[in-house]
This record gives sequence, structure tokens and C-alpha cells, in this order.
Amino acid sequence: MKGLFLNHMDRKEEAHELVRKGLSNDVKGSHQGSYKGSHICWHVYGLLHRSDKNYGQALKCYTHALKIDKDSQLQLLSLKPNNQKYWIGLAISYHLQKNHETAENVLTTYEGTLKEKPTPLDFEHGEMLMYRNLIIEESGDIQRALENLESIKDKVCDKRSWKEKKAQFLLNLEKYQEAEQAYRELIDLNPDCYEYFEGLHKSQKINTRELNEEQQVEFLKTYKELATKYSRSNAIKRFPLQYTAGENFKKAVDEYLQSALRKGVPSLFVNVKKLYDDPEKATIIESLVEGYLESLKKYETFTYNGTEVDLKEPPTAYLWTLYFLAQHYDYKRDTIKALQLINEAIEHTPTMVELYMTKGRILKHGGDVCEAMKAMNEGRELDLQDRFINSKCTKYMLRNGQITEAEKTIGLFTRGDAPDPITDLIDMQCMWFELEEGECYLRQNKFGRSLKRFHQIEKHFADITDDQFDFHSYCLRKVTLRAYLSMLRLEDRLRSHPYYFRAAQNAIKIYLTLYDNPSVTAVSEDDSNFANMTEGEIKKAKSKAKKAAAKAQQEAESKKAQQEEQAKKKVSEKPRDEDPEGDKFVKTTDPLGEAFKFYQPLQELSPKRIETHLLGFEIYLRKKRYLLALRSLIQAHSINSNNSTLHQDIIRFEKAVASDTSINPIVAKVVAEQLSIIHSQNIPLPDFNNEFLGRNKGSIPHLLVAAESLLLIDPSYKQEAEDLLLKIIDNEEYAGTRTLPICINVYESIKKTFNSRAEQFRLKCKDWFPIATYFRETN
Amino acid sequence: MGVPTTTTDNTTISLKTSRKQTTSHRIALGDVTQNNMGQLKRLNSVLFPVHYTDRFYKDVLEVGEFAKLVYFNDACVGGVCCRKEPIAGTSPEQLKLYIMTLGVLAPYRNLGLGTALLKHILEHVHAINSSQNHPKFIEVYLHVQMSNNEAISFYKKYDFDIVGTIEGYYKKITPPDAYILSKKLLVE
Repeated sequence: MKGLFLNHMDRKEEAHELVRKGLSNDVKGSHQGSYKGSHICWHVYGLLHRSDKNYGQALKCYTHALKIDKDSQLQLLSLKPNNQKYWIGLAISYHLQKNHETAENVLTTYEGTLKEKPTPLDFEHGEMLMYRNLIIEESGDIQRALENLESIKDKVCDKRSWKEKKAQFLLNLEKYQEAEQAYRELIDLNPDCYEYFEGLHKSQKINTRELNEEQQVEFLKTYKELATKYSRSNAIKRFPLQYTAGENFKKAVDEYLQSALRKGVPSLFVNVKKLYDDPEKATIIESLVEGYLESLKKYETFTYNGTEVDLKEPPTAYLWTLYFLAQHYDYKRDTIKALQLINEAIEHTPTMVELYMTKGRILKHGGDVCEAMKAMNEGRELDLQDRFINSKCTKYMLRNGQITEAEKTIGLFTRGDAPDPITDLIDMQCMWFELEEGECYLRQNKFGRSLKRFHQIEKHFADITDDQFDFHSYCLRKVTLRAYLSMLRLEDRLRSHPYYFRAAQNAIKIYLTLYDNPSVTAVSEDDSNFANMTEGEIKKAKSKAKKAAAKAQQEAESKKAQQEEQAKKKVSEKPRDEDPEGDKFVKTTDPLGEAFKFYQPLQELSPKRIETHLLGFEIYLRKKRYLLALRSLIQAHSINSNNSTLHQDIIRFEKAVASDTSINPIVAKVVAEQLSIIHSQNIPLPDFNNEFLGRNKGSIPHLLVAAESLLLIDPSYKQEAEDLLLKIIDNEEYAGTRTLPICINVYESIKKTFNSRAEQFRLKCKDWFPIATYFRETN
Repeated sequence: MGVPTTTTDNTTISLKTSRKQTTSHRIALGDVTQNNMGQLKRLNSVLFPVHYTDRFYKDVLEVGEFAKLVYFNDACVGGVCCRKEPIAGTSPEQLKLYIMTLGVLAPYRNLGLGTALLKHILEHVHAINSSQNHPKFIEVYLHVQMSNNEAISFYKKYDFDIVGTIEGYYKKITPPDAYILSKKLLVE
């Protein structure tokens, strides 16, 4: 007991010592006599570990305590049969073990023990009944779940969930008429929920994806009726657009667009963008909106049939039409046209923040991050209360490498009483910022600072996992069981989140770089920055850096003065950052081990993403774990056998295995056998490469990989490889995949390996991407 | 009355005999604050051929209802900024209201926005004049470039009269001469 007190007084070591002592006395006692030993001692030790977040150890202690004090959950029940927390806890344990029957029985028995009948509007009781219904549903017996649902109808407070479940069960049981009725009732409750409409169509046995023309007309009629009944619902207007085509689509979308442009819906383009998956629809929309623009300009109406009308469209309709078209052409990566439209919009109404954001996006897509950032900042200054654009602007500053500016800008919205913006952002688990800043440092080759951010994100996920412990008792007490269960299921898959994926991917890549070039840790940061510059540039950059350093120092000094003042005010300041450069991450002795730690959750939770296996391959290959590396390749192959990186990785793998003389013969044999899954052994590498190229005609990413692979197979193929790459220049079949990022990759590759005709390629890229700073002259 | 040196003034609105009818026509007025000052600055920079100083914008924050932005279908498209001027030697003290700027972006003219701004100002003057314990306004006035016929007839519609001319009032635009337009107010 004393140990527990000490623990709370921050004297952890003493506490551990004391509790261990207690335990050993206890264990000794139990050896000597019939005394079994106290579960309390173990329990206390468990608590101690738990407060240190050492859950593994804590679990061991608890289990030990349980061994001594068997069936505690059951025992707790028998001691206090009217404490519902214990009953429900027991039911959940059975449920999670997929023992649905027992789980259900526990709850039913519990309901039977209740002396007082719960009042009809007892929320907690209703939640418990809905939870029991979920258990029945997950046992697979939908018929019984439906019956049960009907029997508890009057006792459930959450009527909407109840109705949703009913509709869902009826549909599952193919009771279509009743299901349709149920979905209509739900639509009446909320006519903007897409799921209800999907349910409605399923119950009407309409396959929305394959409607013939007649059905489409019928379908539109149904929605017309719904629209008159629920005139404010956007879903009813939007839904038919997804499932009609040709003239039917044109009519529907025409009406939809006009009404939104008239009203001024800034999100209109984002909303209809999904329809662009169908190129025919994209063309229809383009010609319609181009028509509006022309007519609005001349007649102030969306369409013109020869006679002028008195009632005009508002000037804002013209503005939103320009805005829509700018986004439309940006989507098509017609940067010049998009810019021209957005500039016209800005001239029309220069106070509209959205216009500047779109201008920024267009410039970013066109490859000019500096101008993009300026446009964002111009928009930000129009409305200093707009947190969204403030964050966007911060992101664009980071994309443009301006970390100090970015931190200052984001700081406008962080808490005033925090020691500095970054501390507050970390406290708030603001991961988008950490990711962007980490990637920004990475582009500047500041690996330590970059890793620091990515590790920070890993820590957030660990914290989120820890935070669930607060809910275990809370949810049982409040009987929010369905939500509790979905939380438990979420926690199991937590690190499949895209943010974790992005952080892990970056961290792994850095650790691989550190492993491949241990020297980069020794090289000072400035030098690594200058690696790709000419002398003149270095001079410029150095003087710039000097000025920046002087400024930074000045700022640091004034900040320090400020901090000192603050420190005087506040006695307990947060502990200072001991390692701002993140050196401890860079100086790790085991970069591959660190990379592996990030990789593991990906392997477990994101096995459907091909990048996971490609990263795994990189780690295993360096560890010379050939079988595991091959397994990664095979898994990647099963996801997408045509992936360009995979193709190169297969060749790298074969080269590595062939050149490793110390390879275990058994391993070599298994490798040879298994490799045939992804590369048949009787096809020599050059043919393998040609086949790959033949399969992917017109794709620049594949062409690039094929050219580089050719060099990998035999460095003497230099000329052939370069000829291959330069086909991009005048072969129009590559126009479809000619994006800015891939052309940058190609250019880098030509510069690095071939060089002779890099200039020729650059000039061509300048035509293709007229505003991209990347292809501007270098002096 | 001398020519202000730090600020010049202008009125950019338009007046046609028939006002335009549009399918969606929401007009609203909003306060000028520290946060949306950027919008006022942007408006003034495109509406008037004059650069206004930081001092101008600082004062605008102090005048309350006498500085307003106007929104059409949620877009900020115009604004008005005034200055209270005590009249020396009056007792009890009397005031004049000087309209420094009043303007609406070109595509949004003829929709009743200038009127909405001016009406708001006149109503607020009236509200102050009918309240107790506040110095009374006896006049609202402004300068208009002599060639700006649209603005002149706009103000005349609201009982402003030309009461004087200042030659060479504008430094960088022609014609450089300005009319003084004034509306006298009855104070009990």
C-alpha cells in the first residue's frame, strides 16, 4: 500500500522496490504453508505497472492475481448481483470471444434479476437492450434479431437506430415490401442520408448501376416526387446524377448546376467531381457550364433563347461560374486556362477568400509552390478569422520550405497560454501539421528534425491507444455499449489510419537512407543542402543562410528574453526540448530495427496496400533476409503484378541473390522455386523487361522503370535506355500519363545517368508545364 | 474648410433609373473589424484611385456604425467609411458627418447596395440625433469628382445639394476639381 502512495508522489523507483519486497515476502509465505498468497499484492504491482503504461507487465500481474483469486468477475457478480457494471462487463467479454449465446444469456439473466421494472424512457436500459440485439445480429440469426427488435420497441430511446436496424434486417431477410416502407419512414426522418436511399433502391430491387434509358426516366420521376415532398434535401437532387446517363443526365445535371450556381454553393465542384469518373459526364458538364458563362456574360441568364427576360441572374452567378470552370480546368491540369479564369474571378470580386485558395491550388498543381503560397497568404489576409485558410496557408508555406513563417502563421490560432505554437500543436495531436513539417524537413535533408515529427505521430497513436483505458469503466457505467464496442474494434485497427501510414512510410525511407549512407549523419546539414547546387548558388544560399541565422539568433534572443519573463511568471514551466535537432534518432545504431518498428503495424493492418510490401522488401533485402524479402514481393505481386516499382524490385532482388556468395544453399533453392511465381526462370532479364514494357504501352512511370532496369541489368545498355526515355518527347501516346511529378522523376533520372540530352527534355517539359519552377532555366 | 491631406475621398456607385431584378437577391450589412479589414482595404484599393493610410483604417475601427461593409448573396462587394467632425465654437457641441468613402464593386452596381449603405448612415445619424446626451449632427457632406455624374445624381436623389467647388482637390486624377455635396439636417 505504501508503494502505491509513493508512486503517486513521483518516487517511482522506491515504489517498485517496496512492492517487490512485499511480493517476495508474500510468495515466501505461500511456499511455507497452506496460505495461497494474496492476490492483492499482485494486483498492486499490476496497478503500478499500469500507471507506467507498461501494459504487458501489468497484464502479467493481473493474470497472476486472478490465478490466485479465480473467477473474480463471476465472484464479483455473486457478491453484488445488482451492480449492472459487472453483468455487462461479463457479457462483453463473452461477446468479444464470439460466444454470442452466453453473452446474450448473461444480459437476459441480468434483466430478469431487476427488481424494479425500468421506466419506459430509461435510456441506459434501452441501450443495453439494443446492445443485446447487436449480439443476436452478430450471431448471424437475423430472423431472431428482428423478432427481438420488435419485442423491445417500446423500451428503446434511440428510435432512429432502432428504425435503421429494422430496415436493415427486413432487407437482409428479403422482406422487400416491408423494407421499402421502413426506408421511406427513415427518409422522412432525414431526407439527406444517402444510405437510406440506397436501402430504398435495394428494397425496390433496382440495380442503380445498370439502368436502361426507360428505367432512368422512371428513376428520375421517383426523385421528382421525392423532391416535391422534401424540397430542402440536397441528396434527392444529387443522387440521380450518379445513376443516369446521356440526355437524362444532361437534363438533371443542368438543373442541378444552375440552381447551385445561382444560390452560390462554393463546394459545387468538389461535389460533382466524382461524376468525372465517367468522361462522357465530364464533357457534358464542361459544355453546359461553358455555355452558362457565355450567356451570363452577354445576357445575364444561364441560357438564351432569343428573347431578353427582365429577371436576371445575380452577378454572383457569373462569379461562381468562373470559379467552377477554373476548378474544372485545374482538374484537367490545363493550368493556363484555369489561371486565366480564376484571375478574372478575382478581378470581378476581389474580396472572396475561396478564389485565392483555388488560385493557390492551381499554381501548386502547375508546379509553382512559391506563387501558390503567396496567393494563399493574400486570401488569408482578407479574413483573419478564417481558420481553414490559415491552416491551408501554413501548409503551403511548408510546401515552399518556409518553416519559420509557417510556425508563425499557425501560431495565430494556437492557444495563447501555451509555451509556443509547436508545443500546443503536439498537445492537440495536430497530425497534419506534423506530417507536413516532417516532410518539409525531409526535403531539406534535415533527417533528425524530420524523424522527430514522424516519431511524434507514432507517439500520438500510442497515446490514443492508452486513452481507451479511460473508457473501459466509463462506457460500462454509462451503458453506451454499442459505441464502446465500435471503439474497441477501431482501436484494434488504429494504425491503419492514413496519417500513420504516411508517417511510417516517410520514417522508414529515412532510416533506409541512413542505413545506406551512414555518412549523412556526420555531414553537417548545410553541406548536404548544397550537394546539388552550383558554386554561385552555394554562395547565394550561404549568405542567405547567414542572414537567416543572424535573424534567427536575434529572434531567439528576444524569444529567450520573453521566455525568461514568462518563466518568472510561471514557476513550473514545461520541460525544455533537449534534442531539437532530433539527433538521437539520426544517431541510432540500428536504423533497420527502427524502420522495422514502423513497418510492423503496416504489415499487420494495411496488407492491402502495395506500398506496405514494397517497404517490407526494402528492409528485408538490406537485412539479407531473402525469403522474407521474396514473400513481400510475392504479396505485392498479388495486389498489382504490373506495379512499376515492383518490377524493378524483382530485378534488384535477383541481382542481390545472385551476387551473394554466402547465401545458404537451402535458402537459395527455396528462393529459386518461389521466384517462379513472379518471374518465370526461363525468361532472361532483358526479355522480362521488354515484356513489362510491352504490357504497359503509353505509360511514363513504366517506361522510366524499364529504362532504369535496363541499366540495372547491364550498364552497357546506356544508349538504349536513354533512347527509350526520350521517346516521351515526341511520342503523343505518352500524353495520357504525362503528369508533373513523373516528368520531374524522368528529368532527374536523365540528368543523373545520361545527362547528354537532359536539356532537350527540360525544354520540352517547359512547354508542357509552363509555370513549373522546376523546369526554369538554371544558370 | 481645407482639403484633407492624409485622405482623399470618393464615391463609386452607379445609378440608373430602373433597378435590376435578380433571381437571388440577398443584401446584408456587416461591421468592419480587425479581422475583415483586409477586405475593406482590398475594396478601397480597387474602387478608388487613392491609397489610404494605416491611420485611415485605424480610425475606421473607432467609428462603429459609421463604417460598414455590404454583402450581396454573401459576397463582400462594397463599403462605406465616415468620420465625425466636431464643429469648432458650437455650444452645446455640434457635429458634421463626413463620408470619406462609399463604393460598390462594378459588377454589383445598380442592385440597391449603395442605397443600402447610404440609408444606413442617414438612419444612424437620425438615431443619434433623436437620442439624449449626444452632440447632434447638423450636416452630412462629402466630395465628388466633378465629372462623376452618376454619383452626383445618386446623392441628389437623397437630398444632397452641391454647395461648393474645390479646384485641384484631386492630385492624380483628371478632372482634379471636386464638388462639395451636402445634406443639412434639422435639429430640434
